Amino acid sequence: MSAKRSSINRPPTPDVDRDRENQEPTLQEIINIKMIESGEKERLKELLRERLIECGWRDEMKSLCRAYTRKKGRNNVTVDDLVHVITPKGRASVPDPVKAELLQRIRSFLASTAT
Amino acid sequence: MSSKINHHHQNDKTNGQIFPQPCPHLADFHARNGTKPFRAIQDCLHIKPPGGRAAIRRDSSEVPRCGVCGDSSCPRLYACMACAAVSCHVPPHSSHVAIHATKTSSACSHEIAVDVDRAELFCCACRDQVYDRDFDAAVVLAHTTSIIQSSKPENLRKRRRIDYRPWSPDLRERSLMVNNASPIDSMSSSNGDLPRGLRGLNNLGNTCFMNSVLQALFHTPPLRNYFLSDRHNRYYCQSKNGVRLCLACDLDTMFSAIFCGDRMPYSPAKFLYSWWRHASNLASYEQQDAHEFFISMLDGIHEKVEKDQHKPRSQGNGDCCIAHRVFSGILRSDVMCMACGFTSTTFDPCVDFSLDLEPNQGSSMKTSSTKTNHSCNCEADGMNSSQNCGISTLMGCLDRFTRPERLGSDQKFFCQQCQVRQESLKQMSIRKLPLVSCFHIKRFEHSSVRKMSRKVDRYLQFPLSLDMAPYLSSSILRSRFGNRFFPFDGDESNTLNEPSSEFELFAVVTHTGKLDAGHYVTYLRLSNKWYKCDDAWITEVNENTVRAAQGYMMFYVQKMLYYKASEKQGTS
Repeated sequence: MSAKRSSINRPPTPDVDRDRENQEPTLQEIINIKMIESGEKERLKELLRERLIECGWRDEMKSLCRAYTRKKGRNNVTVDDLVHVITPKGRASVPDPVKAELLQRIRSFLASTAT
Repeated sequence: MSSKINHHHQNDKTNGQIFPQPCPHLADFHARNGTKPFRAIQDCLHIKPPGGRAAIRRDSSEVPRCGVCGDSSCPRLYACMACAAVSCHVPPHSSHVAIHATKTSSACSHEIAVDVDRAELFCCACRDQVYDRDFDAAVVLAHTTSIIQSSKPENLRKRRRIDYRPWSPDLRERSLMVNNASPIDSMSSSNGDLPRGLRGLNNLGNTCFMNSVLQALFHTPPLRNYFLSDRHNRYYCQSKNGVRLCLACDLDTMFSAIFCGDRMPYSPAKFLYSWWRHASNLASYEQQDAHEFFISMLDGIHEKVEKDQHKPRSQGNGDCCIAHRVFSGILRSDVMCMACGFTSTTFDPCVDFSLDLEPNQGSSMKTSSTKTNHSCNCEADGMNSSQNCGISTLMGCLDRFTRPERLGSDQKFFCQQCQVRQESLKQMSIRKLPLVSCFHIKRFEHSSVRKMSRKVDRYLQFPLSLDMAPYLSSSILRSRFGNRFFPFDGDESNTLNEPSSEFELFAVVTHTGKLDAGHYVTYLRLSNKWYKCDDAWITEVNENTVRAAQGYMMFYVQKMLYYKASEKQGTS
């Protein structure tokens, strides 16, 4: 019964269409959809994960989170707090070679799908 | 698999992990939705091989987008558990999922949502991640449904455990002990403060490889206790089996000699001769490898004992002989097909861990492992760790040992599900820890390509206390599934009885010099003091000397066995 409930209570989809009917999808959105549909986004995510683990970035973020949690107290920290704290540092500390590699991959993907 | 969940709501600990209490909204969700509230999500859990990430999708090609703003590129999209509406969450700018949660009425609660890309639960009211055993069970079930588990090999049968019962001697036993024993008087006090059991070993001709390992074994707590409590009596063994080659008897002789209190250096000639007869290919006056000797010796003890007692040659549970009882552990090897995700698992016994040293540092940003808080001089204090710490550590080597490794295209593994050779991912983990872990660092590289061998001198930092928990199969598997709380793989009943994963260092065998012309020295830790055993010379040294030494074999004993060993003589 609970399996059926989720489809019964789905919000009516017209909500989305009505708001966005008159707007063309932006270029960014088109690229995003293309990347997801072709599976490229997933591959890039996996590649990025691998590179960030290899270079120690993930361990660094983990230790930042630990330090913050220790300071604030385990019960006073939420996921949102942690994301808020490490996002700027995380973005800034991605090594340049990793950025370059991903940009290169995205460029070649765009080149290959350009019609 | 869900039948294996123990609903211990009052007991917070499972698998040694503290399980967080549900928030009131999650508890409310459970109350409203019966015993299996997350079964509905089961069909939407898609596992993407080979990484094995769980994601929530209604169908595998769905592109989730926020129901309010239509954004599909948001990094955090949540699907409501009640009505499956997807909303984005971009604090502090906007949170459509929080707005959605306000739709909660007495009839239907929209407060619990699930991250569509990470399959993690989120409470919109508390604005925080929440954890649920049933949900994690559903995720793990999705991971393992398509996998045919290989049948467990016999060596995994569980030993029947004997309950601990305290004992004190009765009158008869007391008189037996008094009449047949004599107190070991404090001869040690006459020779400075050297503790009992420290005695030099004469070098009989390039035998430092043997002396160094023997010194470590003499002070391996379970081994020492076994021989000193007469569990292998050489007279009895010889009278029963005749005078024949028995390495355990020779070891018994040596233990008696080492612990008798005599401080004159001892010559282990008889043992050397016996070992030569056992390992005849290594019988020479050339220098040998200490690790090779160690393995050969354990093998020798095992072989001879086995013939006595007709025990089956099943290693891994350590029932066969004292050598395996002390040193034997079980390694788990998972090979996962990159195409279909099918995982093949095997268990192999091992008597030590041979670890590779990391290749050149300086090529990456990697800092020392942050898995424990053992101190490294440049432990990450935030952004500083962009610089490379540059020190290899034992934990770093263990990280590499248990890291998933991509098997190259020349090493394709035959996948039972695909029925062809596929590229695979291999990961090692430790299924059962031994009582004593011997870590052997592969410092001698033999390259068959270049037809030469060389020694790797790079310094390796090793801790005095070591927690092996992150390298256990349970931890490795748990993190492979995304850090789920879930018992699996036969862990259910025994986790409380399993020995702990904390180890203490008690012996370090070091090598100095070149590949073919070097010297082995052992450092022993007794009563928290360090002693250097250099063949016949025993001296007390500073802990920093040991830390700076070039570790080749490090011996760690389970912490609960170590405390007894480190007790002061006077109090025992």
